[in-house]
Amino acid sequence: MLTYILKRFIGAILVMLAVATLVFFMLRLVPGDPIAAMLADAGSEEARIAMVKRLGFDKSVSVQFLKWFENMLHGDLGASIYGSNQPVSTIILEALPRTLSLALISFIIALIIALPAGILSATRKNTTTDHVVSFFAFLGLSMPDFWLAILLIIVFAANLHWLPAIGYSPISEGFWPWFSHLILPSIAVGTGFSAIIARMIRSSMLEVLQADYMRFATSKGLKDWTLLIKHALPNALIPVITVIGIAFALLISGAVVVENVFAIKGLGRVLIQGILNRDYPVVQGAVLVVSAIFVLSNLFVDLLYAIIDPRIRYS
Amino acid sequence: MSDFYKIRRRAKDELKTAYDFDSKDPLFGLSKDEIRGPQLSRRTTLRLMAAAGGLTLAQVLPGLAPKAVLAGSHGGGHLRCAWAGVGEIVTLDPARINQVLQFQIASNVLSGLMHIDNSLVAQGDLAESWDVSSDGLEYTITLRQGVTFHNGDKFDSDDVLYTFNRSKNPEKSMHSRVIGNVNEAVKLNDHQVKFILAKPQASFLTKALERASGRAMTIVSRGGIEALGDAAYGLAPVGTGPYMVTSHVLGQGVVLEKFANYYDSDRPKLDKITITPVDGAEPLAAAMEAGDVDYIGGNPVPSQLVERFKSNSDLTVDIKPGPGFQSVWINPWRDFMRVDNFNKPIEELKKENGFMVRLALVKALDRDLFVTQAKFGYGVPAHGTINPAMGYYFDDTLSSTSEQAYDPEGARALLAAAGYPGGKGFPTLKLQTTPNTKRDGLVVANIYKKVLGITVEVDAKDFSVGIEEFNKMDFDLRLGGSGGDYDPDDGIIDWMQTSSKFNGRDRNKELHPFGFFSSDQADAAIAKQSVTADLSERKKLVQEANAITSNKVACGFLYHPVDILVYNNKLNVPNDARIPGLHELDRISLS
Repeated sequence: MLTYILKRFIGAILVMLAVATLVFFMLRLVPGDPIAAMLADAGSEEARIAMVKRLGFDKSVSVQFLKWFENMLHGDLGASIYGSNQPVSTIILEALPRTLSLALISFIIALIIALPAGILSATRKNTTTDHVVSFFAFLGLSMPDFWLAILLIIVFAANLHWLPAIGYSPISEGFWPWFSHLILPSIAVGTGFSAIIARMIRSSMLEVLQADYMRFATSKGLKDWTLLIKHALPNALIPVITVIGIAFALLISGAVVVENVFAIKGLGRVLIQGILNRDYPVVQGAVLVVSAIFVLSNLFVDLLYAIIDPRIRYS
Repeated sequence: MSDFYKIRRRAKDELKTAYDFDSKDPLFGLSKDEIRGPQLSRRTTLRLMAAAGGLTLAQVLPGLAPKAVLAGSHGGGHLRCAWAGVGEIVTLDPARINQVLQFQIASNVLSGLMHIDNSLVAQGDLAESWDVSSDGLEYTITLRQGVTFHNGDKFDSDDVLYTFNRSKNPEKSMHSRVIGNVNEAVKLNDHQVKFILAKPQASFLTKALERASGRAMTIVSRGGIEALGDAAYGLAPVGTGPYMVTSHVLGQGVVLEKFANYYDSDRPKLDKITITPVDGAEPLAAAMEAGDVDYIGGNPVPSQLVERFKSNSDLTVDIKPGPGFQSVWINPWRDFMRVDNFNKPIEELKKENGFMVRLALVKALDRDLFVTQAKFGYGVPAHGTINPAMGYYFDDTLSSTSEQAYDPEGARALLAAAGYPGGKGFPTLKLQTTPNTKRDGLVVANIYKKVLGITVEVDAKDFSVGIEEFNKMDFDLRLGGSGGDYDPDDGIIDWMQTSSKFNGRDRNKELHPFGFFSSDQADAAIAKQSVTADLSERKKLVQEANAITSNKVACGFLYHPVDILVYNNKLNVPNDARIPGLHELDRISLS
């Protein structure tokens, strides 16, 4: 098992390095002049020349890459070339707790909705309950998250004044301010994912419920609850966990639209802002972190299989 | 005569007087005593601004005069602001500021040597008094004593010199050219400095030393920069202003708190200000309606929200003429609308197919419909760069006399004469916009379809890509323009001269001898107006240049923006806090 984990870790590092290299060169191919964007109409020609030199853009791309790669290996992701040149690691470390908070609450909301909905839908196949759950699952899937986000803001913030419309409050400033700022964005993000997970649980449960061992368990006279929770659900969750793992990684990097609507600067927004500004170091750093999250979530999911299903062993 | 016309007449007289001086006079017709501080009179300030080419009717019209603070207002309290149209305030370091929305905040944290108030009277900010030599080349500034930085350091001459040297260095500051005319800054003693200029400069007090628009001489703290480093200082600069930055998390916002040791004990009124960047119209509206924020600064309030805010009895919407213009830029190097010599007489140009197409494109622009559909009525149709906010220079007859006047029949006839009757055979054009102006682009595209029957595809590109292509002249049509200031130079010098900084700066000069437009006649008029002190003569030249660029289709002028301020009625926002383009948060209180 340990050997397997070690191998996967080495593989993960290689994937991240490959992604970082690819992103470095692809960014240079993308049209857009970062210096022109930075100076807008403010800077003089002397300022422009000085900026090109200071940022090392007067050197060849390969020299720039080697310098960046060397610094990265030393744990230095560089500094933003935009604004006041904040260190990339600071920008990412500031954004990460916001993203993790949003992803976590969204994830919990998605599971709270998806688990009972999926189980209910599977155990009451082709009944009104199943149709209602399926209808809402499709609704959740087809509803754009930014639209839901705006709707939630209008209803719960602008009209009812129950929750804040925008912003983020760190947990260090208190649990309620933190949680209240995350409720609406988490519902907006979590609803779509809950629909995906509920559909997965339904189909997986249906398959499991028809398995021989389930018929055997039923014939033993086990209670419905025990049948479902002890025997059916763990087996039904194995394929679902793969989706959940990817969904969690997607939540971390992909909630950018909702982050924008609620003015929460998470990792996704850092990445998008970096791309818009052609802020190369920020984009490279953020992509590196996102790729690490994806690789590690996949590894985590693989390890989780072994815990849920003792038949799975890695050597 | 109505009050409005009386006021306008008086303002015009005041403006005329301001410009009445010999342009060769190094003191601009003022006596040495008049320029000497501790405060410049309104007349002197207007004269100095006129001499610097920075004074217009919009600025001398009343309504900008301070009014008394409303009864019932009190000190203290927490103001929550949304900074519109932006995801993060990337810097507050004056040396790095590249957007108005950044110095709108920074000017509440950092002081300059001078600051113009709402009645355009130049006040000493950190300058207590000043003296100018007879030849207009030496400015001796006596500094305010007892001023401290937010970190407790005392402010003195060394800080002025440190700021000067930092700003003069293009590696450190983007605004070195603002003080390019200063040969030397000399410390006379701890509280006196002297600036030695290369040549007389009327704008030296009112712009170069001004804390907001100048940026180069906005005083920074040496101790603060050395202790924090450039990066951290950029987020939370240490200054001597009414508020200090106590927190700035990129993308989350800025928290300002009252600086108890500010030199003016009457200000600031509020204890705390939170500024949250909000990108997107709907979240901005919801935040305002939910009471999450009480005041909107930053980029212009989206037009589609104005009626909604107006119908909300809790909010005040204050609209004033705004400077600037927006246009459809037409690339003259595309074959089907090619014009390689704008110097020909207009009647000759009208015989060329390329010019006929350009003229058809601008005559087809139904600007009223555009303003209604794209700007929800909040804009003024444009036919030149000179806008209503420039008052005296604005030519309100241009909308009917210009070749660009809306004429759908004429536009169709021109397009047919150029070989594209009913738009048949005309290639599909790409109209470049930014993602934020895509909607405007769609309205323009619809107008072209309706009037000319041609297809225009809207191509929304990131600013960094769009500006690169625009500078290289690699576009068909582009939507863009200037936010601008209140002087005609902003439009005609920055955009309409052959050598203008936006006129195809990075083009292939062998293939394209000029950028989007070049007219010797316009160049001459623009150059001459910039050195003409006589008001009526300058107006004539400005309007001449404006008419040439309009008639010869430098671009398709579209609309002039308006300046919209929105705040909750629980705030007391006195008129002296309403300086165009700025937010004097230290004067705002809770009522």
